[in-house]
Amino acid sequence: MSSIFNLLPVFAFLVFLLFVSLKIQRDSASDRAANFARDYFIGGRTLGGFVLAMTTAATYSSVSTFVGGPGVAWSIGWGWLYMAMVQVVVIFLVLGVFGKKIALVAHKIDAVTVIDVLRARYHSDMLANFAALVTVAFFCATMVAQFVGAAKLFEAVTGFSYVTGLTMFGLIVVFYTTVGGFKGVAVTDAFCAIAMLIGTCLLFGCMLSVGGGYLKIMSDMAVQHPDMLEPLSGGKMPMSLYISMWCLVGICTLSLPQSVVRSISYKDTKALHRAMLIGTIVIGAMTLFATSLGVVAKGVLTQPMSAYGSVDNITPRAIVESMGPFWAGVCIIGPVAATISTVSSLLLTASGSIVKDVYMNIREKQGKPLPNESIRTYSLVGTILIGIGVYWISISPPSVIWKINMFAFGGLETAFFWVLIFGLFWSKANKMGALFAMYGGVVIYCVSMAMKFNVLNLHQIVLGIGGSLVLFLVGNALGKEPDEATRRLFFPEQFD
Amino acid sequence: MKQSDKFRQANKEALATVIATVAVILFWWAAGFGLADCKTMILGTPLWVWGGCVGTWIFACVVVYLLIKFVYKDFDLDEEVSHE
Repeated sequence: MSSIFNLLPVFAFLVFLLFVSLKIQRDSASDRAANFARDYFIGGRTLGGFVLAMTTAATYSSVSTFVGGPGVAWSIGWGWLYMAMVQVVVIFLVLGVFGKKIALVAHKIDAVTVIDVLRARYHSDMLANFAALVTVAFFCATMVAQFVGAAKLFEAVTGFSYVTGLTMFGLIVVFYTTVGGFKGVAVTDAFCAIAMLIGTCLLFGCMLSVGGGYLKIMSDMAVQHPDMLEPLSGGKMPMSLYISMWCLVGICTLSLPQSVVRSISYKDTKALHRAMLIGTIVIGAMTLFATSLGVVAKGVLTQPMSAYGSVDNITPRAIVESMGPFWAGVCIIGPVAATISTVSSLLLTASGSIVKDVYMNIREKQGKPLPNESIRTYSLVGTILIGIGVYWISISPPSVIWKINMFAFGGLETAFFWVLIFGLFWSKANKMGALFAMYGGVVIYCVSMAMKFNVLNLHQIVLGIGGSLVLFLVGNALGKEPDEATRRLFFPEQFD
Repeated sequence: MKQSDKFRQANKEALATVIATVAVILFWWAAGFGLADCKTMILGTPLWVWGGCVGTWIFACVVVYLLIKFVYKDFDLDEEVSHE
Protein backbone atom coordinates (compact mmCIF):
# COMPACT_ATOMS: atom_id res chain seq x y z
CA MET A 1 0.00 0.00 0.00
CA SER A 2 2.99 2.31 0.23
CA SER A 3 2.99 4.65 -2.70
CA ILE A 4 4.72 7.92 -3.34
CA PHE A 5 1.35 9.67 -3.03
CA ASN A 6 1.33 8.80 0.67
CA LEU A 7 4.52 10.69 1.10
CA LEU A 8 4.01 13.68 -1.13
CA PRO A 9 1.61 15.84 0.93
CA VAL A 10 3.68 15.69 4.13
CA PHE A 11 6.87 16.26 2.22
CA ALA A 12 5.42 19.30 0.44
CA PHE A 13 4.28 20.72 3.77
CA LEU A 14 7.72 20.23 5.33
CA VAL A 15 9.49 21.85 2.41
CA PHE A 16 7.09 24.78 2.65
CA LEU A 17 7.99 25.23 6.34
CA LEU A 18 11.64 25.09 5.44
CA PHE A 19 11.22 27.94 2.98
CA VAL A 20 9.26 30.00 5.49
CA SER A 21 12.08 29.53 7.96
CA LEU A 22 14.79 30.44 5.46
CA LYS A 23 12.90 33.58 4.52
CA ILE A 24 12.64 34.59 8.16
CA GLN A 25 16.34 34.00 8.60
CA ARG A 26 17.09 36.34 5.69
CA ASP A 27 14.67 38.99 6.89
CA SER A 28 16.12 39.09 10.36
CA ALA A 29 19.76 39.21 9.31
CA SER A 30 20.22 42.81 10.45
CA ASP A 31 18.56 42.23 13.85
CA ARG A 32 20.77 39.24 14.40
CA ALA A 33 23.87 41.21 13.55
CA ALA A 34 22.89 43.68 16.29
CA ASN A 35 21.90 41.28 19.06
CA PHE A 36 21.93 37.64 18.07
CA ALA A 37 20.69 36.10 21.30
CA ARG A 38 17.67 38.38 21.52
CA ASP A 39 16.55 37.76 17.96
CA TYR A 40 17.37 34.06 17.92
CA PHE A 41 15.87 33.00 21.25
CA ILE A 42 12.82 35.28 21.52
CA GLY A 43 12.36 36.73 18.05
CA GLY A 44 13.32 40.25 19.12
CA ARG A 45 10.01 40.64 21.01
CA THR A 46 7.95 41.20 17.88
CA LEU A 47 5.22 38.54 17.98
CA GLY A 48 1.70 39.69 17.20
CA GLY A 49 -1.44 38.28 18.79
CA PHE A 50 -2.30 35.69 16.17
CA VAL A 51 1.18 34.16 15.93
CA LEU A 52 1.60 34.24 19.71
CA ALA A 53 -1.69 32.37 20.15
CA MET A 54 -0.91 29.81 17.48
CA THR A 55 2.63 29.09 18.61
CA THR A 56 1.56 28.67 22.23
CA ALA A 57 -1.29 26.36 21.23
CA ALA A 58 0.80 24.39 18.71
CA THR A 59 3.66 23.90 21.16
CA TYR A 60 1.20 22.65 23.71
CA SER A 61 -0.65 20.24 21.39
CA SER A 62 1.61 17.33 20.66
CA VAL A 63 1.48 13.96 19.01
CA SER A 64 -0.47 12.76 22.07
CA THR A 65 -3.30 15.08 21.05
CA PHE A 66 -3.69 12.93 17.94
CA VAL A 67 -2.51 9.48 18.98
CA GLY A 68 -2.57 8.83 22.74
CA GLY A 69 -5.61 10.98 23.50
CA PRO A 70 -8.02 9.75 20.80
CA GLY A 71 -6.79 6.18 21.33
CA VAL A 72 -7.81 6.22 24.97
CA ALA A 73 -11.06 8.01 24.07
CA TRP A 74 -11.82 5.11 21.73
CA SER A 75 -11.72 2.71 24.66
CA ILE A 76 -13.19 4.97 27.39
CA GLY A 77 -15.67 7.19 25.61
CA TRP A 78 -16.89 10.72 26.29
CA GLY A 79 -15.39 10.74 29.79
CA TRP A 80 -11.94 11.05 28.27
CA LEU A 81 -12.98 14.07 26.21
CA TYR A 82 -14.56 15.62 29.30
CA MET A 83 -11.26 15.16 31.12
CA ALA A 84 -9.25 16.50 28.17
CA MET A 85 -11.31 19.71 28.15
CA VAL A 86 -9.33 20.90 31.19
CA GLN A 87 -6.89 22.09 28.55
CA VAL A 88 -9.06 25.08 27.63
CA VAL A 89 -7.52 26.96 30.56
CA VAL A 90 -3.87 26.41 29.67
CA ILE A 91 -3.32 29.30 27.25
CA PHE A 92 -5.06 32.11 29.06
CA LEU A 93 -3.78 30.95 32.42
CA VAL A 94 -0.09 31.17 31.58
CA LEU A 95 -0.39 34.36 29.53
CA GLY A 96 -2.73 36.00 32.03
CA VAL A 97 -0.75 35.20 35.17
CA PHE A 98 2.82 35.59 33.94
CA GLY A 99 2.42 37.43 30.63
CA LYS A 100 2.74 41.00 31.79
CA LYS A 101 4.79 40.66 34.93
CA ILE A 102 7.54 38.71 33.20
CA ALA A 103 7.47 41.04 30.20
CA LEU A 104 7.89 44.11 32.43
CA VAL A 105 10.89 42.60 34.17
CA ALA A 106 12.35 41.11 30.99
CA HIS A 107 12.25 44.43 29.18
CA LYS A 108 14.12 46.05 32.04
CA ILE A 109 16.91 43.49 32.31
CA ASP A 110 16.89 42.42 28.65
CA ALA A 111 16.11 38.79 29.51
CA VAL A 112 15.71 36.26 26.71
CA THR A 113 14.96 33.09 28.68
CA VAL A 114 12.88 32.17 31.70
CA ILE A 115 16.07 31.21 33.49
CA ASP A 116 17.42 34.74 32.93
CA VAL A 117 14.46 36.00 34.91
CA LEU A 118 15.01 33.43 37.68
CA ARG A 119 18.67 34.35 37.87
CA ALA A 120 17.82 38.02 38.27
CA ARG A 121 15.30 37.17 40.98
CA TYR A 122 17.24 34.68 43.08
CA HIS A 123 20.91 35.38 42.15
CA SER A 124 21.77 31.72 42.30
CA ASP A 125 23.88 29.77 39.82
CA MET A 126 22.95 26.58 41.63
CA LEU A 127 19.31 27.28 40.86
CA ALA A 128 19.83 28.50 37.30
CA ASN A 129 22.11 25.64 36.31
CA PHE A 130 19.82 23.02 37.79
CA ALA A 131 16.87 24.63 36.03
CA ALA A 132 18.80 24.46 32.76
CA LEU A 133 19.70 20.81 33.39
CA VAL A 134 16.11 19.84 34.20
CA THR A 135 14.89 21.68 31.13
CA VAL A 136 17.33 20.02 28.78
CA ALA A 137 16.89 16.51 30.21
CA PHE A 138 13.10 16.56 30.24
CA PHE A 139 12.86 18.34 26.90
CA CYS A 140 15.04 15.72 25.24
CA ALA A 141 12.85 12.94 26.65
CA THR A 142 9.76 14.72 25.36
CA MET A 143 11.25 15.30 21.93
CA VAL A 144 12.16 11.63 21.60
CA ALA A 145 8.64 10.64 22.63
CA GLN A 146 7.25 13.02 20.03
CA PHE A 147 9.46 11.74 17.24
CA VAL A 148 8.72 8.13 18.10
CA GLY A 149 4.98 8.70 18.21
CA ALA A 150 4.91 10.52 14.91
CA ALA A 151 7.25 8.10 13.14
CA LYS A 152 5.16 5.10 14.25
CA LEU A 153 2.04 6.80 13.03
CA PHE A 154 3.75 7.63 9.77
CA GLU A 155 4.82 4.03 9.27
CA ALA A 156 1.38 2.64 10.05
CA VAL A 157 -0.41 5.05 7.73
CA THR A 158 1.90 5.33 4.74
CA GLY A 159 3.63 1.96 4.75
CA PHE A 160 7.04 3.61 4.51
CA SER A 161 9.48 2.52 7.17
CA TYR A 162 9.74 4.11 10.60
CA VAL A 163 13.21 5.42 9.85
CA THR A 164 12.12 6.99 6.55
CA GLY A 165 9.46 9.04 8.27
CA LEU A 166 11.65 9.92 11.22
CA THR A 167 14.48 11.00 8.96
CA MET A 168 12.25 13.08 6.75
CA PHE A 169 10.49 15.18 9.35
CA GLY A 170 13.17 14.81 12.03
CA LEU A 171 15.96 16.29 9.98
CA ILE A 172 13.78 18.97 8.40
CA VAL A 173 12.48 20.21 11.75
CA VAL A 174 15.97 20.28 13.23
CA PHE A 175 17.23 22.21 10.25
CA TYR A 176 14.46 24.77 10.08
CA THR A 177 14.57 25.39 13.83
CA THR A 178 18.29 25.96 13.63
CA VAL A 179 18.09 28.52 10.85
CA GLY A 180 14.79 30.18 11.75
CA GLY A 181 15.33 30.75 15.47
CA PHE A 182 12.38 31.72 17.63
CA LYS A 183 10.61 33.75 14.99
CA GLY A 184 10.93 30.87 12.53
CA VAL A 185 9.57 28.49 15.15
CA ALA A 186 6.65 30.79 15.94
CA VAL A 187 5.58 31.36 12.35
CA THR A 188 5.96 27.70 11.32
CA ASP A 189 4.02 26.79 14.48
CA ALA A 190 1.18 28.98 13.28
CA PHE A 191 1.07 27.07 9.99
CA CYS A 192 1.26 23.81 11.92
CA ALA A 193 -1.71 24.79 14.08
CA ILE A 194 -3.75 25.51 10.97
CA ALA A 195 -2.67 22.19 9.45
CA MET A 196 -3.71 20.38 12.62
CA LEU A 197 -7.19 21.91 12.52
CA ILE A 198 -7.62 21.02 8.84
CA GLY A 199 -6.29 17.47 9.30
CA THR A 200 -8.63 16.91 12.23
CA CYS A 201 -11.72 18.14 10.37
CA LEU A 202 -10.85 16.03 7.34
CA LEU A 203 -10.44 12.88 9.37
CA PHE A 204 -13.58 13.63 11.33
CA GLY A 205 -15.63 13.94 8.17
CA CYS A 206 -14.23 10.73 6.65
CA MET A 207 -14.83 8.71 9.78
CA LEU A 208 -18.38 9.90 10.04
CA SER A 209 -19.12 8.83 6.49
CA VAL A 210 -17.43 5.43 6.88
CA GLY A 211 -19.13 4.84 10.24
CA GLY A 212 -22.56 5.56 8.75
CA GLY A 213 -23.07 9.05 10.22
CA TYR A 214 -22.78 10.52 13.68
CA LEU A 215 -26.27 9.52 14.81
CA LYS A 216 -25.79 5.90 13.86
CA ILE A 217 -22.42 5.69 15.60
CA MET A 218 -23.91 7.18 18.76
CA SER A 219 -27.00 4.98 18.79
CA ASP A 220 -24.86 1.86 18.28
CA MET A 221 -22.68 3.01 21.14
CA ALA A 222 -25.69 3.48 23.41
CA VAL A 223 -26.63 -0.15 22.78
CA GLN A 224 -23.22 -1.83 22.73
CA HIS A 225 -21.14 0.32 25.07
CA PRO A 226 -23.51 2.34 27.29
CA ASP A 227 -20.72 3.07 29.77
CA MET A 228 -18.93 5.14 27.12
CA LEU A 229 -21.73 7.68 27.51
CA GLU A 230 -21.11 8.13 31.25
CA PRO A 231 -18.52 10.50 32.74
CA LEU A 232 -17.05 7.82 35.00
CA SER A 233 -17.23 5.28 32.18
CA GLY A 234 -18.40 2.42 34.39
CA GLY A 235 -15.40 2.93 36.70
CA LYS A 236 -12.74 3.28 34.00
CA MET A 237 -12.53 7.04 34.65
CA PRO A 238 -12.34 7.35 38.46
CA MET A 239 -12.68 10.75 40.08
CA SER A 240 -9.03 10.65 41.16
CA LEU A 241 -8.05 10.57 37.49
CA TYR A 242 -10.07 13.71 36.81
CA ILE A 243 -8.42 15.53 39.70
CA SER A 244 -4.95 14.34 38.67
CA MET A 245 -5.48 15.53 35.14
CA TRP A 246 -6.72 18.92 36.25
CA CYS A 247 -3.38 19.33 37.97
CA LEU A 248 -1.12 17.69 35.41
CA VAL A 249 -2.46 18.96 32.10
CA GLY A 250 -4.47 21.87 33.47
CA ILE A 251 -3.35 24.16 36.26
CA CYS A 252 0.27 23.11 36.66
CA THR A 253 1.06 23.68 32.97
CA LEU A 254 1.20 27.28 34.12
CA SER A 255 4.89 26.82 34.84
CA LEU A 256 6.07 24.94 31.74
CA PRO A 257 9.12 26.94 30.60
CA GLN A 258 8.31 26.47 26.90
CA SER A 259 5.01 28.29 27.52
CA VAL A 260 6.31 30.87 29.96
CA VAL A 261 9.06 31.96 27.57
CA ARG A 262 6.31 33.18 25.25
CA SER A 263 5.59 35.89 27.81
CA ILE A 264 8.91 37.49 26.90
CA SER A 265 8.38 37.36 23.16
CA TYR A 266 5.31 39.41 22.30
CA LYS A 267 5.19 42.89 20.85
CA ASP A 268 2.73 44.78 23.06
CA THR A 269 -0.13 44.24 25.49
CA LYS A 270 -2.71 44.28 22.68
CA ALA A 271 -0.98 41.26 21.13
CA LEU A 272 -1.06 39.48 24.49
CA HIS A 273 -4.78 40.09 24.95
CA ARG A 274 -5.63 38.92 21.45
CA ALA A 275 -3.45 35.84 21.89
CA MET A 276 -5.32 34.85 25.03
CA LEU A 277 -8.65 34.88 23.25
CA ILE A 278 -7.51 33.28 19.98
CA GLY A 279 -5.43 30.74 21.87
CA THR A 280 -8.36 29.67 24.03
CA ILE A 281 -10.62 29.29 21.00
CA VAL A 282 -8.00 27.26 19.11
CA ILE A 283 -6.88 24.98 21.93
CA GLY A 284 -10.52 24.29 22.81
CA ALA A 285 -11.40 23.42 19.21
CA MET A 286 -8.32 21.26 18.82
CA THR A 287 -8.98 19.30 22.03
CA LEU A 288 -12.65 18.93 21.28
CA PHE A 289 -12.32 17.68 17.71
CA ALA A 290 -9.12 15.64 18.00
CA THR A 291 -10.30 13.78 21.10
CA SER A 292 -13.82 13.24 19.72
CA LEU A 293 -12.14 11.54 16.78
CA GLY A 294 -11.33 8.69 19.13
CA VAL A 295 -14.94 8.37 20.30
CA VAL A 296 -16.27 8.51 16.75
CA ALA A 297 -13.67 5.94 15.66
CA LYS A 298 -15.71 3.41 17.64
CA GLY A 299 -18.03 3.37 14.64
CA VAL A 300 -15.16 2.49 12.27
CA LEU A 301 -13.05 0.20 14.44
CA THR A 302 -15.73 -2.00 15.95
CA GLN A 303 -13.71 -4.96 17.19
CA PRO A 304 -12.47 -5.33 20.79
CA MET A 305 -9.14 -3.88 21.86
CA SER A 306 -7.24 -7.16 21.41
CA ALA A 307 -7.78 -6.92 17.64
CA TYR A 308 -5.80 -3.68 17.48
CA GLY A 309 -2.98 -4.32 19.95
CA SER A 310 -2.73 -1.05 21.84
CA VAL A 311 -4.58 2.27 22.02
CA ASP A 312 -1.71 3.88 20.12
CA ASN A 313 -2.77 1.93 17.04
CA ILE A 314 -6.28 3.35 16.99
CA THR A 315 -5.58 6.62 15.18
CA PRO A 316 -3.46 5.09 12.39
CA ARG A 317 -5.95 2.26 11.87
CA ALA A 318 -8.82 4.73 11.77
CA ILE A 319 -7.01 6.81 9.14
CA VAL A 320 -6.18 3.82 6.99
CA GLU A 321 -9.67 2.35 7.17
CA SER A 322 -11.55 5.53 6.46
CA MET A 323 -9.68 7.07 3.52
CA GLY A 324 -7.61 6.34 0.44
CA PRO A 325 -3.81 6.63 0.32
CA PHE A 326 -3.66 10.21 -0.96
CA TRP A 327 -6.07 11.63 1.60
CA ALA A 328 -4.45 9.55 4.33
CA GLY A 329 -1.20 11.22 3.31
CA VAL A 330 -2.85 14.64 3.59
CA CYS A 331 -4.39 13.72 6.90
CA ILE A 332 -1.19 12.81 8.69
CA ILE A 333 0.06 16.33 8.09
CA GLY A 334 -2.03 17.10 11.20
CA PRO A 335 -0.22 14.83 13.66
CA VAL A 336 3.15 15.48 12.01
CA ALA A 337 2.53 19.23 12.38
CA ALA A 338 1.62 18.72 16.05
CA THR A 339 4.88 16.85 16.56
CA ILE A 340 7.25 19.19 14.80
CA SER A 341 5.70 22.31 16.31
CA THR A 342 6.33 20.89 19.77
CA VAL A 343 9.83 19.67 18.94
CA SER A 344 10.88 22.98 17.36
CA SER A 345 10.01 24.99 20.48
CA LEU A 346 11.57 22.50 22.86
CA LEU A 347 14.71 22.24 20.78
CA LEU A 348 15.21 25.99 20.74
CA THR A 349 14.53 26.34 24.47
CA ALA A 350 16.91 23.48 25.24
CA SER A 351 19.69 24.99 23.21
CA GLY A 352 18.97 28.39 24.78
CA SER A 353 19.37 26.81 28.21
CA ILE A 354 22.77 25.41 27.41
CA VAL A 355 24.20 28.24 25.36
CA LYS A 356 22.58 31.28 26.94
CA ASP A 357 21.82 30.25 30.50
CA VAL A 358 24.90 28.20 31.24
CA TYR A 359 27.76 28.90 28.85
CA MET A 360 27.27 32.64 28.19
CA ASN A 361 26.81 33.15 31.90
CA ILE A 362 30.05 31.40 32.77
CA ARG A 363 31.89 33.58 30.25
CA GLU A 364 30.36 36.74 31.67
CA LYS A 365 31.34 35.72 35.19
CA GLN A 366 34.91 35.27 33.98
CA GLY A 367 34.81 38.77 32.57
CA LYS A 368 35.10 37.45 29.02
CA PRO A 369 31.62 37.92 27.55
CA LEU A 370 31.09 36.20 24.21
CA PRO A 371 31.10 38.47 21.18
CA ASN A 372 27.92 38.48 19.08
CA GLU A 373 29.54 36.42 16.33
CA SER A 374 30.51 33.60 18.72
CA ILE A 375 27.05 33.61 20.31
CA ARG A 376 25.75 33.02 16.82
CA THR A 377 28.08 30.10 16.18
CA TYR A 378 27.48 28.47 19.55
CA SER A 379 23.70 28.86 19.31
CA LEU A 380 23.48 27.37 15.82
CA VAL A 381 25.85 24.51 16.63
CA GLY A 382 24.11 23.86 19.96
CA THR A 383 20.68 23.67 18.36
CA ILE A 384 21.76 21.37 15.57
CA LEU A 385 23.73 19.04 17.89
CA ILE A 386 20.85 18.58 20.33
CA GLY A 387 18.49 18.06 17.41
CA ILE A 388 20.64 15.41 15.76
CA GLY A 389 21.16 13.73 19.14
CA VAL A 390 17.41 13.47 19.69
CA TYR A 391 16.94 12.14 16.17
CA TRP A 392 19.62 9.53 16.82
CA ILE A 393 18.07 8.31 20.07
CA SER A 394 14.68 8.11 18.35
CA ILE A 395 15.95 5.60 15.80
CA SER A 396 15.91 2.81 18.37
CA PRO A 397 13.68 4.27 21.04
CA PRO A 398 12.64 3.37 24.56
CA SER A 399 8.99 2.20 24.79
CA VAL A 400 5.70 3.71 25.95
CA ILE A 401 5.36 7.15 24.38
CA TRP A 402 2.70 8.57 26.55
CA LYS A 403 4.32 7.81 29.90
CA ILE A 404 7.68 9.31 29.01
CA ASN A 405 5.93 12.39 27.82
CA MET A 406 3.90 12.63 31.01
CA PHE A 407 6.92 11.98 33.22
CA ALA A 408 8.72 14.91 31.67
CA PHE A 409 5.66 17.11 31.77
CA GLY A 410 5.19 16.68 35.52
CA GLY A 411 8.89 17.00 36.24
CA LEU A 412 9.10 20.37 34.53
CA GLU A 413 5.97 21.60 36.22
CA THR A 414 7.25 20.60 39.65
CA ALA A 415 10.63 22.24 39.07
CA PHE A 416 9.29 25.62 38.01
CA PHE A 417 5.86 25.99 39.62
CA TRP A 418 6.52 27.62 43.00
CA VAL A 419 9.85 29.08 41.99
CA LEU A 420 8.09 31.14 39.31
CA ILE A 421 4.91 31.95 41.20
CA PHE A 422 6.58 33.00 44.45
CA GLY A 423 9.44 34.63 42.62
CA LEU A 424 7.13 36.92 40.72
CA PHE A 425 4.38 37.55 43.24
CA TRP A 426 5.87 37.22 46.72
CA SER A 427 8.57 39.73 47.52
CA LYS A 428 9.84 37.76 50.53
CA ALA A 429 10.52 34.62 48.53
CA ASN A 430 14.25 33.99 48.73
CA LYS A 431 17.04 31.93 47.22
CA MET A 432 17.03 29.21 49.86
CA GLY A 433 13.29 28.62 49.46
CA ALA A 434 13.61 28.41 45.69
CA LEU A 435 16.53 25.98 45.90
CA PHE A 436 14.66 23.72 48.31
CA ALA A 437 11.54 23.82 46.17
CA MET A 438 13.22 23.10 42.86
CA TYR A 439 15.67 20.38 43.94
CA GLY A 440 13.34 18.81 46.50
CA GLY A 441 10.27 18.90 44.29
CA VAL A 442 11.99 17.23 41.36
CA VAL A 443 13.46 14.53 43.62
CA ILE A 444 10.10 13.83 45.30
CA TYR A 445 8.33 13.69 41.95
CA CYS A 446 10.86 11.45 40.21
CA VAL A 447 11.31 9.07 43.14
CA SER A 448 7.57 8.65 43.73
CA MET A 449 7.04 8.25 39.99
CA ALA A 450 9.74 5.59 39.73
CA MET A 451 8.50 3.72 42.81
CA LYS A 452 4.88 4.09 41.66
CA PHE A 453 4.06 5.53 45.07
CA ASN A 454 0.98 7.73 45.34
CA VAL A 455 -1.52 9.20 47.77
CA LEU A 456 -5.29 8.66 47.37
CA ASN A 457 -4.63 7.29 43.91
CA LEU A 458 -3.67 10.75 42.68
CA HIS A 459 -0.94 11.29 40.11
CA GLN A 460 2.54 11.95 41.53
CA ILE A 461 2.38 15.54 40.28
CA VAL A 462 0.19 16.28 43.30
CA LEU A 463 2.92 14.97 45.63
CA GLY A 464 5.64 16.79 43.72
CA ILE A 465 3.86 20.15 43.74
CA GLY A 466 2.69 19.74 47.34
CA GLY A 467 6.13 18.68 48.56
CA SER A 468 7.75 21.49 46.62
CA LEU A 469 5.44 24.03 48.32
CA VAL A 470 6.27 22.78 51.81
CA LEU A 471 9.99 22.76 51.02
CA PHE A 472 9.80 26.30 49.64
CA LEU A 473 8.23 27.58 52.86
CA VAL A 474 10.77 25.72 55.02
CA GLY A 475 13.73 26.89 52.95
CA ASN A 476 12.38 30.41 52.87
CA ALA A 477 12.29 30.56 56.66
CA LEU A 478 15.97 29.55 56.75
CA GLY A 479 17.21 31.91 54.06
CA LYS A 480 17.63 35.65 54.20
CA GLU A 481 15.43 38.21 52.48
CA PRO A 482 16.24 39.32 48.95
CA ASP A 483 18.18 42.59 48.72
CA GLU A 484 16.59 45.90 47.97
CA ALA A 485 17.78 46.15 44.35
CA THR A 486 16.06 42.87 43.52
CA ARG A 487 12.88 43.91 45.24
CA ARG A 488 12.91 47.24 43.43
CA LEU A 489 13.24 45.40 40.13
CA PHE A 490 10.49 42.87 40.71
CA PHE A 491 8.21 44.79 43.09
CA PRO A 492 8.56 48.51 42.40
CA GLU A 493 5.00 49.01 43.61
CA GLN A 494 6.19 48.39 47.18
CA PHE A 495 8.50 51.39 47.05
CA ASP A 496 6.01 53.90 45.74
CA MET B 1 1.19 54.97 33.56
CA LYS B 2 3.95 54.92 36.15
CA GLN B 3 6.16 51.83 36.36
CA SER B 4 4.85 50.95 39.81
CA ASP B 5 1.25 51.27 38.58
CA LYS B 6 1.99 48.89 35.72
CA PHE B 7 3.18 46.30 38.23
CA ARG B 8 0.07 46.89 40.34
CA GLN B 9 -2.08 46.38 37.27
CA ALA B 10 -0.13 43.22 36.31
CA ASN B 11 -0.70 41.80 39.80
CA LYS B 12 -4.39 42.60 39.58
CA GLU B 13 -4.65 40.92 36.19
CA ALA B 14 -2.85 37.81 37.45
CA LEU B 15 -5.33 37.54 40.30
CA ALA B 16 -8.27 38.04 37.93
CA THR B 17 -6.89 35.27 35.72
CA VAL B 18 -6.74 32.89 38.67
CA ILE B 19 -10.33 33.75 39.60
CA ALA B 20 -11.37 33.20 35.97
CA THR B 21 -9.69 29.78 36.01
CA VAL B 22 -11.56 28.81 39.17
CA ALA B 23 -14.80 29.94 37.49
CA VAL B 24 -14.06 27.73 34.47
CA ILE B 25 -13.35 24.75 36.74
CA LEU B 26 -16.62 25.28 38.62
CA PHE B 27 -18.55 25.61 35.37
CA TRP B 28 -16.88 22.48 33.99
CA TRP B 29 -17.87 20.55 37.10
CA ALA B 30 -21.46 21.82 37.16
CA ALA B 31 -22.12 21.44 33.43
CA GLY B 32 -20.56 17.96 33.26
CA PHE B 33 -20.91 16.01 36.49
CA GLY B 34 -23.87 18.20 37.44
CA LEU B 35 -25.81 17.04 34.38
CA ALA B 36 -24.53 13.46 34.37
CA ASP B 37 -27.79 11.99 35.68
CA CYS B 38 -29.93 13.89 33.20
CA LYS B 39 -31.21 11.48 30.56
CA THR B 40 -31.69 14.10 27.82
CA MET B 41 -29.87 13.36 24.58
CA ILE B 42 -29.11 15.89 21.85
CA LEU B 43 -28.05 14.32 18.53
CA GLY B 44 -27.59 11.01 20.31
CA THR B 45 -25.10 12.58 22.71
CA PRO B 46 -25.80 12.96 26.44
CA LEU B 47 -26.48 16.47 27.70
CA TRP B 48 -23.49 16.39 30.09
CA VAL B 49 -21.15 15.97 27.11
CA TRP B 50 -22.53 19.13 25.51
CA GLY B 51 -22.41 21.05 28.77
CA GLY B 52 -19.09 19.77 30.12
CA CYS B 53 -17.16 19.80 26.84
CA VAL B 54 -18.68 22.20 24.30
CA GLY B 55 -20.16 24.35 27.07
CA THR B 56 -16.88 24.63 28.96
CA TRP B 57 -15.10 25.67 25.78
CA ILE B 58 -17.60 28.43 25.03
CA PHE B 59 -17.69 29.51 28.68
CA ALA B 60 -13.89 29.80 28.77
CA CYS B 61 -13.89 31.94 25.61
CA VAL B 62 -16.55 34.26 27.06
CA VAL B 63 -14.64 34.57 30.34
CA VAL B 64 -11.44 35.50 28.51
CA TYR B 65 -13.34 38.02 26.41
CA LEU B 66 -14.75 39.65 29.55
CA LEU B 67 -11.29 39.76 31.15
CA ILE B 68 -9.86 41.52 28.11
CA LYS B 69 -12.78 43.90 27.88
CA PHE B 70 -13.12 44.90 31.53
CA VAL B 71 -10.04 43.94 33.55
CA TYR B 72 -6.94 43.99 31.39
CA LYS B 73 -5.39 47.31 30.42
CA ASP B 74 -3.00 48.29 27.68
CA PHE B 75 0.30 49.89 28.63
CA ASP B 76 3.81 50.28 27.32
CA LEU B 77 6.04 47.45 28.53
CA ASP B 78 9.17 49.58 28.45
CA GLU B 79 9.81 52.04 31.22
CA GLU B 80 8.84 55.51 30.06
CA VAL B 81 11.62 58.03 30.28
CA SER B 82 10.71 60.38 33.10
CA HIS B 83 10.15 64.02 32.26
CA GLU B 84 11.63 65.49 35.39
